[in-house]
Amino acid sequence: MSSPPRTGVRSKRITPEFLTQLRNLRIVVLHPRDADGEVLIQQLKRIGCQVQTFWPPVQDIPDNVDVVYYAIQSNEMHAPLNFSNFEQPPAVIAVVGYENPTIFEVMLRLGATGVLSAPLRSTGVLASLVLTVGLTQEMRGYKKRVQRLEQKLLSVNQINDAKAILMRTRGVSDAEAYKIIREQAMSKRLATEEIARAIIHADEILSGR
Amino acid sequence: MSTNDPIKVGVLFSREGVTSRIENTMLAGTLFAIREINDAGGIDGRELVPVYYDPKSNPQQFRSLATRLVQDDKVNVIFGCYMSSTRKAVLPVVERWNRLLFCPTMYEGFEFSNNIIYTGGAPNQNSALLADYMSSRFGARVYLIGSDYIFPYESNRIMSDFVHHRQGGAKVGERYVHLDAKESAFTPIMKDIKAKQPDFIFSTMVGKTTRMLYQAYADAGFDPKKMPIASLCTSEEEVSEMGIRLAEGHYTGGTYFQSIDTQRNRDCVALFRKLFGNEVQPNMSWESSYYQVHVFADAFREAGSDEHDILLPHVLGREFDAPQGRIRILPHNHHARLYPRIGRVNSEGQFTILAETPGGVDADPYLVSHSFDDWSTRLRVNANEEEST
Repeated sequence: MSSPPRTGVRSKRITPEFLTQLRNLRIVVLHPRDADGEVLIQQLKRIGCQVQTFWPPVQDIPDNVDVVYYAIQSNEMHAPLNFSNFEQPPAVIAVVGYENPTIFEVMLRLGATGVLSAPLRSTGVLASLVLTVGLTQEMRGYKKRVQRLEQKLLSVNQINDAKAILMRTRGVSDAEAYKIIREQAMSKRLATEEIARAIIHADEILSGR
Repeated sequence: MSTNDPIKVGVLFSREGVTSRIENTMLAGTLFAIREINDAGGIDGRELVPVYYDPKSNPQQFRSLATRLVQDDKVNVIFGCYMSSTRKAVLPVVERWNRLLFCPTMYEGFEFSNNIIYTGGAPNQNSALLADYMSSRFGARVYLIGSDYIFPYESNRIMSDFVHHRQGGAKVGERYVHLDAKESAFTPIMKDIKAKQPDFIFSTMVGKTTRMLYQAYADAGFDPKKMPIASLCTSEEEVSEMGIRLAEGHYTGGTYFQSIDTQRNRDCVALFRKLFGNEVQPNMSWESSYYQVHVFADAFREAGSDEHDILLPHVLGREFDAPQGRIRILPHNHHARLYPRIGRVNSEGQFTILAETPGGVDADPYLVSHSFDDWSTRLRVNANEEEST
């Protein structure tokens, strides 16, 4: 599942990259081997995905899994899945027998981003899988972007603080303060953010804070 | 029910509307198989009786007539449908009442119903082979032209993906023509083709507009030896409709051609001609319509019933010596193992078979991305035939 799905305009009849990778999806099905379980497993196999089935649910699922189907039964306790050993936690698709608030609460607590309602039909399994995988990738993209932006914002604030210190202690202008930070960074081969942090740190020590 | 009661089966192929010509051959293939079965003593002495309605190439009619077949005529099995839109219309009916539809058209894949048997082939049995064959012989700059519905869109997606993986490959044009278009619709398209000079034209036109495409192509003065049309749907019937002169030299990918040189096929075609005359041209859709009735009859003999849950296990995994070769209904996806071939129209209006897959190919209807390495090893090319023109 390499590149995220395109959301913009694209030329007609060319397959998005992530759709061509559907058969590489590793899928775990946490569902009893009943009629619904068979419909789901057989359809996933027809689609060509690699499927492993466990019931009762195991908490520690193999760490290279892309998608987990989780049957939410009304009479079971649903321990949250443990994805701590995952680099990328898999997408969770809930399989629900009842569409009521109790079940939805469990479904959301499990972090499901897709849902199938029993009784299951073969039709609809592929559509929901594509949507869930597509949205999961898009969300991963957003998460990365948010992290990058937070990091960026933090750096900008630190540089501003460092410039303020230099302007106050050395009596230089804003532009000159930045020039000092940048020259230090270049001569010491460090990022401007690191120089900024060092200045802030030094200022804290010198001012006895 | 006494044991010599007739067995009623539903039949839905159009005798009117945009795809009536090809569907009429499918009706003939179905009735031919029923006749053959009854002439040989029926199913354990019980006569097979078709209940036929004309759905006039219209999805709503397909749905209401399928409902009538189930509710009023009490049939358990229906043979029918050509365009995907009509199959999709019948699907909820057979699912709701738990009946079985045998659908004999090659289509775009991505479907499974526990109440349908798909005997006509999926893209890995038609588009993929044709894409590989044409682009390796003529080049991979392709112009796509099709009827305006789902089967052409999906077939063109596969073709586009394929040519983009080829050196110098490109989709140079993509046009869709309405199912009831007039001749004039093709004039600007031919102008565009002339300007873009593709290596070949990939056609997924169906029905009445097929003839118009080949006519417009000839009128534009194009040469099939340099820039042929490669089609998934132009069969002997369409060739007979448009006339040999327009069709000669163009290519078709399919699992059956009338020209297949086996005793089984020659006998089958000869018997059909004797019983049904020369008006209908045996073709790939005719053949799958024919063999699927035999698959049903053989399954019924074993099951003793045509109720869905009793009959289905005897349909799945069943093999049959069809005119195209020994087919098998695949238990896991309800499609079939078939024999993809490439043919070129010759001066008799028949297809010279240029390449075929001797071992047969299992349908893989959910294959998104086609790997073409498989083909080169599986495909047997008839080099002598390729050279001749």
